[in-house]
Amino acid sequence: MEKLSFVGKSITRVDAEEKVTGSAIYGYDLVLPDMLYGKVLFSTRPHAIIKRIDTEKARRLPGVHAVVTGKDAPWTHGETIKDMPFLAQGKVRFVGEPVAAVAAVDEDTAQAAVALIEVEYEDCPAYFSPEEACNPGAVLIHEDYDSYRKSDIIVPGPLPNILEHFKLRTGNVEAGFRESDLVLEQRYVVPAIGHAALEPHSAHAQVDPESGKVTVWVANDAPFRVLHETAEALGLPKEKIRFINPYQGGGFGSKGAMKVETIAIALAYQTNGRPVRVKFNRAETFVSTITRHEAIVYIKSGVKRDGTLVARQVRIYWGAGAYAEKSPTVCIKGSHPSPGPYRIPHVQVDGYAVYTNKPLAGAFRGYGVPQTAWACEQHMDELAQRLGMDALDFRLKNVFVDGDLSYWGERLQSVGLKETLLKATEAIGWGKKTGQSNPPKGIRIGKGFACIAKPTRTPTTSTAAVKIDSRGDVMILAGTVEIGQGCTTILSQIAAEELQVPIDKVRMHSLDTDLIPFDASTTSSRSTYHMGNAVKRAAVKARDQITEMAASLFDTSKENLELSNGKVRVKDRREPALSFGEVICQKLGSDGVVAGDGAYTFEMGKDVDPQTGHSEHASAFYMYATQAAEVAVDEETGRVRLIRMVAAHDVGKAINPLNCVAQIEGGLAMGIGAALHEELVIDDHGRVKNPSFLDYHLVTSLDLPKMETIIVECPDPNGPYGAKGLGEPGLAPTPAAIGNAVANALGTRIYELPLSPERVYWAIQTSKKNPSPSVSAEPVVSNPTSFR
Amino acid sequence: MKRPEPFEIFQPASIQEARELHIHHGPGGYFLAGGTDLAIAIKEKGLVPRYVVDLKRIGSLSGIRENADGSLVLGALATMREVEISRVISRRFPFLSQSAGEVGSIQIRNRATIGGNIANATPSADVVPALLVLEAQVTTSTQNGEKQVPLESFFLGPGKTVMERGDILTEIIIPPASANLRGEYIKFSPREMMDLAYVGVAVALLTDGDENVCREVRIALGAVSPVPMRARKAEAVLVNRVINEESAERAGEAAASECTPISDVRASAAYRRHMVRVNTKRAILNAVCGRPGNLPWVARRERRY
Ligand SMILES: Cc1cc2nc3c(=O)[nH]c(=O)nc-3n(C[C@H](O)[C@H](O)[C@H](O)COP(=O)(O)OP(=O)(O)OC[C@H]3O[C@@H](n4cnc5c(N)ncnc54)[C@H](O)[C@@H]3O)c2cc1C
Repeated sequence: MEKLSFVGKSITRVDAEEKVTGSAIYGYDLVLPDMLYGKVLFSTRPHAIIKRIDTEKARRLPGVHAVVTGKDAPWTHGETIKDMPFLAQGKVRFVGEPVAAVAAVDEDTAQAAVALIEVEYEDCPAYFSPEEACNPGAVLIHEDYDSYRKSDIIVPGPLPNILEHFKLRTGNVEAGFRESDLVLEQRYVVPAIGHAALEPHSAHAQVDPESGKVTVWVANDAPFRVLHETAEALGLPKEKIRFINPYQGGGFGSKGAMKVETIAIALAYQTNGRPVRVKFNRAETFVSTITRHEAIVYIKSGVKRDGTLVARQVRIYWGAGAYAEKSPTVCIKGSHPSPGPYRIPHVQVDGYAVYTNKPLAGAFRGYGVPQTAWACEQHMDELAQRLGMDALDFRLKNVFVDGDLSYWGERLQSVGLKETLLKATEAIGWGKKTGQSNPPKGIRIGKGFACIAKPTRTPTTSTAAVKIDSRGDVMILAGTVEIGQGCTTILSQIAAEELQVPIDKVRMHSLDTDLIPFDASTTSSRSTYHMGNAVKRAAVKARDQITEMAASLFDTSKENLELSNGKVRVKDRREPALSFGEVICQKLGSDGVVAGDGAYTFEMGKDVDPQTGHSEHASAFYMYATQAAEVAVDEETGRVRLIRMVAAHDVGKAINPLNCVAQIEGGLAMGIGAALHEELVIDDHGRVKNPSFLDYHLVTSLDLPKMETIIVECPDPNGPYGAKGLGEPGLAPTPAAIGNAVANALGTRIYELPLSPERVYWAIQTSKKNPSPSVSAEPVVSNPTSFR
Repeated sequence: MKRPEPFEIFQPASIQEARELHIHHGPGGYFLAGGTDLAIAIKEKGLVPRYVVDLKRIGSLSGIRENADGSLVLGALATMREVEISRVISRRFPFLSQSAGEVGSIQIRNRATIGGNIANATPSADVVPALLVLEAQVTTSTQNGEKQVPLESFFLGPGKTVMERGDILTEIIIPPASANLRGEYIKFSPREMMDLAYVGVAVALLTDGDENVCREVRIALGAVSPVPMRARKAEAVLVNRVINEESAERAGEAAASECTPISDVRASAAYRRHMVRVNTKRAILNAVCGRPGNLPWVARRERRY
C-alpha cells in the first residue's frame, strides 16, 4: 500500500476544542426563539385500559398553550412493527408510558398543568418476564398485533406475545447431539440495563402553519430513518419533514428511532407555529425512552471427546418491553451469531422477542451480541472444563478462520479472530501463574477470556459530497452523526488523505436532512466502513476535477501531477506548485467551487433470512475481538475487583489508532459496568426502582483496572484502507471474560448478571454447601430445563 | 428533577441572628450548610422550604482546633475535605480523616460539611461511626442556651435528631483520647467511590503489651439500623481478650446479630448482616495493625480486603 499521510495517524480530534471549551451545542442545549416548553404525564400502571382522561383543568391553567392526548395524535410508529402510538391510545402498557403532554410558557407551568390532568385506569394482568409473557394462555399485551402494519422480516411466534421469531436451521441438531460424547445445557440470564448517555433525551419540534412542514431538532443517530418513519406515521411526503441534528452527547443506541420526538411533534401541531421543546430528565430517560434487552439464553451443545464442536442449540427470550421498537431486528441480528464464532455442523437457533409490561428495549451498543456472548462464552469455558481441555485450545480448535463456511452459509474472509485470541491470552498470561503470587488471605485470583464476532446491518447505503472552494477549504457533507465516537475526525482524515490537504483545511457540515445527502444511520459500527468509502469516493471525484484543471494550467497530463499539502505540482518540474484555491480561481473564478459525490452500498449483502437464518453475505464485514480479564474475588464479601483487562480487536485498519483505543477503553468501561454493577431493577408493579445514578451504578474511573488494548489489523478487502468497524464490540465480550475469570477464581460459575458483590457472595455460599459435580466426559445434561 | 418553588434566603452573620430569623419566620425554614443534602431534597425529593437560612457567613461555625487538654473541636461548617486533610486529625485519628475522605467525590467533599452530615441524620452518614467510637459530643445552640449531648443520643431515627426547630448544631467535640488509641473505618460499598455505604464499620481500641490484649474498645455501625449505632455486644466480646482472627470473628458475629438492617434495591438485609460480620472483623484486625497517617488512595482501596 502507498504511504499514508493522514490515515493511520492519531491526530487530535477535530471537535476537541469546541467540546472542551463548552461551545459545542448539544440537543439538550438548544434554545429556539419563541419556544414553548413541554411536559409529559406518564402512566403509573404497567398494563391498564384508560377509562377516562380529563384535561379540562390543565387547559384552563394560565400559560398553557396546548394539552394533547392520544386522541389528538392518532399516529403510530415503529421500526418494523407499527405498534407504538405517539401518546397512549386507550391503553397503557408500562409504567412510564407517555399518556398526555402539555406545552406552556415555561416548564413550571407545564409541570403544574400535567399535575392537573386526571386519568382513570382499569388494570389488566401484567407480565414482567419474557418467559412468563409467552406462556400458553397468557393475556395479550397487544390484542391488535395481527393487524399492525409490519415489514416483511416479521415472523410471528407460536405463542402469545411473541412479536418476532427468528429461526436458524443448519444440519440436524438432534442427530448432532446423538453423535456427541458430551452434551451440556445451561440457562443464562442478562438483565435490562440503561444506556446512561451523558446527555438525556430531548427534542424540539415546530409545525409551520402555512406549509405544514414539520421541523424537528433532535440529537438522533439516524435522522434519515427517523424522517422516513415520521413521514410514514404522519402520512406526509418526505419533503414536508426536516430533521436538524445538533451534537449528540452520547447515545449508545438509545437515540435512534422516535423517542421524545413523538411528543414534541404532537404538541407542535397545536401551538400555531411556535416551536416546542420537550426534555426528559434522568429518571424519565431511564424509564420512558429505551433500555437494553433483558435476555434469557438457553444453550445446549454437543462436543466430541477431542473438543470438536458437533451441535449447538440456542433458545433466546428477548424481553422487548411494551412495544416492538427495534426488538425484531435485535432479535434477528442478536440471535443469528448467538452460537458464537465457531465451526459447528449442526445448529439450531430460536430467538423470540417477547412483549412484556416493562420499559421498551431497543438498540444498545452491540445489538444483542453482548447478551448472547455472556451465555456462549461462559458455556465454551464450561465445556472445555468438562472435557478436561484448556479453554484456549478448545476455542482454537473450533474458531472461525479465513475461508470457513459459517453455519449461516457464508464463506468468511479476513478473519482476524485467531490473532485476537492469541494476542489477548498471551498478554494476560493465560496458562501462566498470576502476577499476584501471594494474594491476601481470602482473595482468589482468576483469569478468563472471551471472544466474539459482531456483524453489521447489511446492506445499507451511505452517500456523501466533498466540496472545495476557492480558498482551498474542504467541506464534507455527510449524514454520519457525531455521537462522540469521532466520526468527524475519521472522515476528515479520509478526505485529507485523498486530497492531500492539511487536516485543518477540512471541515464537516452539521447535519440537516434538507441539505445533507442520505445516510442509513450512525449505528451498527457501520460509519467508518460505509461513510468512509462514500467520502473517499467523493474526495477522489473532487480531486479528479482539481487535477484535470491543473493539468490544463500546467499544460501536462493528470498522471504527471502530484498533490501535497493542499497544492498541486508537476512531478520533476521546478515550476512552483499551485494551491487548490489558485487552481479553482484561475479556472472557475474567485467564486468557483468544485464538488464530488460518492456513495457506497455493500451490494451483494443480504441480511440473514429470519426463517432460515441463512445468507451468503450476511454482513459487509465482521468485527472480531477477544478480551481477557484478571480478577481478584474477595471470598468473604463477594466483591470482584479487576486487576487487569486486555482487549484485542480486529479493526481491519486503524484510521486513527488513538481513537480506536478510546473506543475500546470506553467499551471496556461500559462492559465492566454491565458485568459488575448495572441492572435496572423493576419491582412487581413494573416500576423501575433505581432510575438515578444514586442506585444505578456505572463504573467510575477509580473502578477501572489497568487496561491494555491491542489493535489487530486484518484488512477488509472492501473497507476504506482495509478498515472494518469498532463502535460496538468494545463491551461485547467483557462480561463473559470477567465471568470466566470469576469462575476460574472460585471454581464455581455464575450464570446471571451482574456479578454484584451480593450475587457472588451467595454463589460462594451455595458452592460451599454443594461443591460442583465432578468433571467427567460422560454425556451430561445439567439443568435439563424443558426444551419446548 | 423539579425546579424549586421560589423561597427567601437569609445570610445571617451570627448564630444568634440565625436562630432569631428562624423563630421570627416560623415553620418551613431550613438551615443551609454545604447544601449537598438540602439541594437534592428540594430538587429531587419534593421538599418545599418556605425559606432558607444560610449558615456559611457565620465565622464561628468554622475551623478545627485542638484544645490544651487534647480535646478536638470541629466547627459544624468544617468541610469533609478539611476533616480529610487536617494535620491534627490525620495524625491523631486517621480513621476519622478517612471516613470523611470516603464521602462522595472531592467536589462534594469541598462543599459537604461535617455538621450537615450529622444534622441530616441518614443511617449511612460516613463520619458518624468514626465519631461514635471517639465518643464525640455535639453542641447545639437552642432556645434555652447551649446544650451538649453525646452523639450517640443525638439521633432519634432516619432524618430525626434531638434538635428542635430553630436549633443549630454548632460544633463537634472529640474528648481527649489516649495517644495509643488505634482505629479503623471501613466503608463497604460495591464501587470504589461515589457510593453510599452498604455497611460502615468504625472501630477504636486500646491494647496492652505485645499480646494485643484489648483493654478498651468501641465499635460503631452505619447503614444497618435506623440510626448509626454502637455495637456493644461486639465490644463486650473483645474486652480483656487477645485480639486475633478468632476473637475478631466472634465480635463480628455479635455485631451482625445486634444490628437491624433492611432490604432495599442496594442489598438484602441478610447480606448486609454478613457484611457487618466480615467488615467488623476486618476493621478490628486492621485497627490493631495500626496504620498511622493518612493513607494514599490506592493503599486505602487495597486495605478493604
Ligand atoms: C453526589 C453526592 C455524594 C454523596 N456521598 C456521600 C457519602 O459517600 N457519604 C455520606 O455520608 N454522605 C454523602 N453525601 C451526602 C452529603 O454530602 C453529606 O451528608 C454532607 O455531609 C451534608 O453536608 P452539607 O453541608 O452539604 O449539608 P446541607 O445539605 O447543607 O444540610 C443537610 C441538612 O442538615 C441541616 N443542617 C446543616 N447544617 C446544620 C447545622 N449546623 N445545624 C442545624 N442543621 C443543619 C440542613 O438544614 C439540612 O436539613 C453525598 C451527597 C452527594 C450529593
